[in-house]
Amino acid sequence: MARRCEFLRKFLFLLQRKQLERDLQEEIEGHLWRKAEKNVSAGMSREAAYASARRQLGNLTRHREESRTSWGFPLLESIVQDTRYGLRVLGNAPGFATVAILTLALGIGASSAIFSITNAVLLRPLPYKDSPRLVHVWGKSARFPEFSMGMSYPDAEDLRAKARSFETVAWYRSGNLVLTGAGEPEQAPVAAVSSDFLRLFSVQPALGSGFQPDDYEMKNGRVILLGYGLWQRRFAADSSIVGRTVTFDGVPYTVTGVLPKDFSYADIDALVPLIPKAEEKTKRENWMFFTLAKMRPSVSARTAQAEADSFQAGLAQAYPKEESDSRLEVQPLLAAAVNGDTTTQLATLVGAVSFLLLIGCANVSNLILSRSVQRQREIALRAALGASRARILRQLLIESLVLALTGGVAGMALASIGIRAFRVLSPPTFSRLSEIRFEPVVALIALLVACAAGIICGLAPALHTSRADLNLALKERSAFTSLTHRFSLRSFLVVAEVSLALALLTGSALLVQSLARLMKVDTGFRTDHLLTAQIEMSPTRYASEDARRLFIQRIFEALRAEPQFRGVALANNSLLTHMTAVMSFDPELIGIHEKPTPLEAKSVSPGFFEALNIPMLAGRGFTDRDVKGSPPVVVISQSLAKRFYPAQEPLGKVFKVGTDPADAFQVVGVVADTRDIHLGQKLQPQVYFPILQDPYNGMSVMVRSGADPLTLVRLLQQRVWSVDKDQPLTHVNSMSEVIANSVAEPRFKTWLLSAFAAAGLALTLIGIYGVISYSVNQRARELGIRLALGAQSGDVLGLVLKQGLGMAVTGAGIGVLGSLALMRLLATQLYGIKPTDPLTLAGSAMLLLVVAVCASYIPARRATKADPMIALRAE
Amino acid sequence: MVRTASKNDLLPGTLDMLILQTLTRGQMHGYGIAQHIQEISEEILQVEEGSLYPALQRLLVKGWVKAEWGTSDNNRRARYYTLTSAGRKQLGIEAENFDRMVQAIARVMQTA
Repeated sequence: MARRCEFLRKFLFLLQRKQLERDLQEEIEGHLWRKAEKNVSAGMSREAAYASARRQLGNLTRHREESRTSWGFPLLESIVQDTRYGLRVLGNAPGFATVAILTLALGIGASSAIFSITNAVLLRPLPYKDSPRLVHVWGKSARFPEFSMGMSYPDAEDLRAKARSFETVAWYRSGNLVLTGAGEPEQAPVAAVSSDFLRLFSVQPALGSGFQPDDYEMKNGRVILLGYGLWQRRFAADSSIVGRTVTFDGVPYTVTGVLPKDFSYADIDALVPLIPKAEEKTKRENWMFFTLAKMRPSVSARTAQAEADSFQAGLAQAYPKEESDSRLEVQPLLAAAVNGDTTTQLATLVGAVSFLLLIGCANVSNLILSRSVQRQREIALRAALGASRARILRQLLIESLVLALTGGVAGMALASIGIRAFRVLSPPTFSRLSEIRFEPVVALIALLVACAAGIICGLAPALHTSRADLNLALKERSAFTSLTHRFSLRSFLVVAEVSLALALLTGSALLVQSLARLMKVDTGFRTDHLLTAQIEMSPTRYASEDARRLFIQRIFEALRAEPQFRGVALANNSLLTHMTAVMSFDPELIGIHEKPTPLEAKSVSPGFFEALNIPMLAGRGFTDRDVKGSPPVVVISQSLAKRFYPAQEPLGKVFKVGTDPADAFQVVGVVADTRDIHLGQKLQPQVYFPILQDPYNGMSVMVRSGADPLTLVRLLQQRVWSVDKDQPLTHVNSMSEVIANSVAEPRFKTWLLSAFAAAGLALTLIGIYGVISYSVNQRARELGIRLALGAQSGDVLGLVLKQGLGMAVTGAGIGVLGSLALMRLLATQLYGIKPTDPLTLAGSAMLLLVVAVCASYIPARRATKADPMIALRAE
Repeated sequence: MVRTASKNDLLPGTLDMLILQTLTRGQMHGYGIAQHIQEISEEILQVEEGSLYPALQRLLVKGWVKAEWGTSDNNRRARYYTLTSAGRKQLGIEAENFDRMVQAIARVMQTA
């Protein structure tokens, strides 16, 4: 209580400082006057009376100072004082301040942008209520270990009934709705959800209501819950939509409500009740319903996993045939939302940006250090006048903090720009991209980084300087003796900078080469002048296999009839989009003693190989006669032929995918291998089926053009819509764009890392330049003497260059060793180049040495121009 | 710097106590307080008069004394200090501490 009053009074005193000052002054003058009057009346002369009175009062300045101290907050005030002094000092050295602040702004801006992106992507909870408690329950089959599947309908129902770890279990199946009517037909992702789906996310519709139990039995016909985006886009945000009937895919739905604006899950545009088919309700091996669960508040993911394991063990016991080679995997929603690529990319970027920040700090440390050497006498003077070591240390630290915070504010602006640029430039596959924005936390991170940088940058020089020997420093020129010591710290910082920069350089050089090699990969087919699009057939309108076959046939004919399309190819899968269909193939079926192996399987149209320029090595491709009812045929790839038909002619041989007679195909052709999943893939054995014998409900359309393929978009749409005017075409793009998109992630990462490396290199250049020119200044006398004694300017040049080169070589040596260890972390992100590639390492080291020579050359030239007389006279 | 003890060296912290004690007689200005301390102590405790003022500021901040401007006997403005109740309490504490210390010193001196 008393302390609080005292604080309050001090605060009030602070506000009336001038009044207090005047009161004290008048009071002391009054005292003096009374004292003097008394002396006068005791018989002294007026002059002597005053002098004596003043003597008795003592050191008035000190008393006034002391009084002031008791009024205020002395520590705070001296900090304010130091800060003001620091600002003044910086103002007097604008060149130094600009370089230091820009360096820090660069380091702080880049690192706080990357750190906050990392925070937003990897650490911040997903935007759902209680999101840490939300998990996926994936089905994993031993047969396809790399795929995450859902659960079967009865398994999910059992899980909901039995699992005690979960308070809510919901599952869904995703599909597409075709939106027709005004404008072009559009395809919208939709999820058929079980009854607890919205409850799991604690979401209430913004308009209308969720699904009622009746809706799951279709008592009131089909119902739909519109997503906010779809409602805005397609229904002009009409709030009278609730209760009305809308038609999708020729099927009427009653709108029960609209989802809130801030709810999104997996880009779904609308929800419908999940009404399973009769066989889905009982079929246990049908693992196609993606399952979500909300754990009870005190349950950990580990406990939930343990329960899922025992749940699955129970199922395996009850249904050994269907359930024994599967297991369930509980994965928090956040972990699933961020893909592994994003995590490794962010890790790479965080590493790179930390290096950049460290280089920046080393540089600023060096700058402060060389300045503090110039200020040695000033500091020694302060110490001589009674400033304590702590006070000087504090003063120097405050100066570097002032520098760092100014850099931090500039860095914050840079970070804000950087984050915006990141959102625009980063590949769309980057997880949670839309959630990245400039936030207060960025400012906080920037300031924290700035303070840390300030302390790191300031501490070493401050400790060094405050230890300075008073006597030596005060004597003109004697600072020379302590120079070697201080110089070694500066050299150490430069060496550290060089080695960090080398690591950055090597990393970016590896990524650049990897990207270049990836772009030069031979895909095995012609990718230029190719327009591609995706067609998803509506399951209601093309329900039967015959309907699908007929549709594919008509599309193919409509496209082939267009003279501007120089080639037409259909396939059930798009090319170079990281997707493929894989089938498990047992070589024993054709008499080869090998384990079952995955094959890349594709259903393609007649003319596929010709349109894509895939060399036909033997036999024929598919023709119009390879339809339903004609003999089942396949075309195999060269590597499949070599591996499973060794030393024999594969044409005419039988290829079997099962024991059933319908699973036997005749090999009619052999084609060259292609890379059509993604550029960096290994070659895999491939098998092609005729699309008209094996129709899927989706297909990829490719047409070859004479001119820019994008000029044919309209024509392609018209041809498709001439067959079915309500058929949406999605992913319309040229193949070269598709390829560019498929390497968007590595390209973006490479670009960023190269920018960091370039910045690191520039900072290192400045660092070396700074140290060498400082040392040339300090050695002016020595160099002058050398010149006077007959040294050639070449000798002096060599002497100085050797010094710069010496630091660079040491740094590069350490950097090479460090890179050898560090680049292993990049191994998974590299294509066609080893992380320890000696040429890359040597090249990066050479580049750094060249930079070091350039940075030393300018001060070295200056050294040779040193006039020996001036240097000697300065003595 | 070598310091020799002189007669006006006070025990640290005692100046505050002396001021508070002096003010128990009623409100006084700075000059008056200095005069009083010197007269009562028969000129042994010669406070460096200037140091009175930082001490008074300290006491003001602590809330142990109050100050207001008034007119002194010779018609000149002077700042008069009054003891507050908090100051009276503080004086009690300090006087007690002082007594204890003096007794302790006295005991040491006797046994020596």
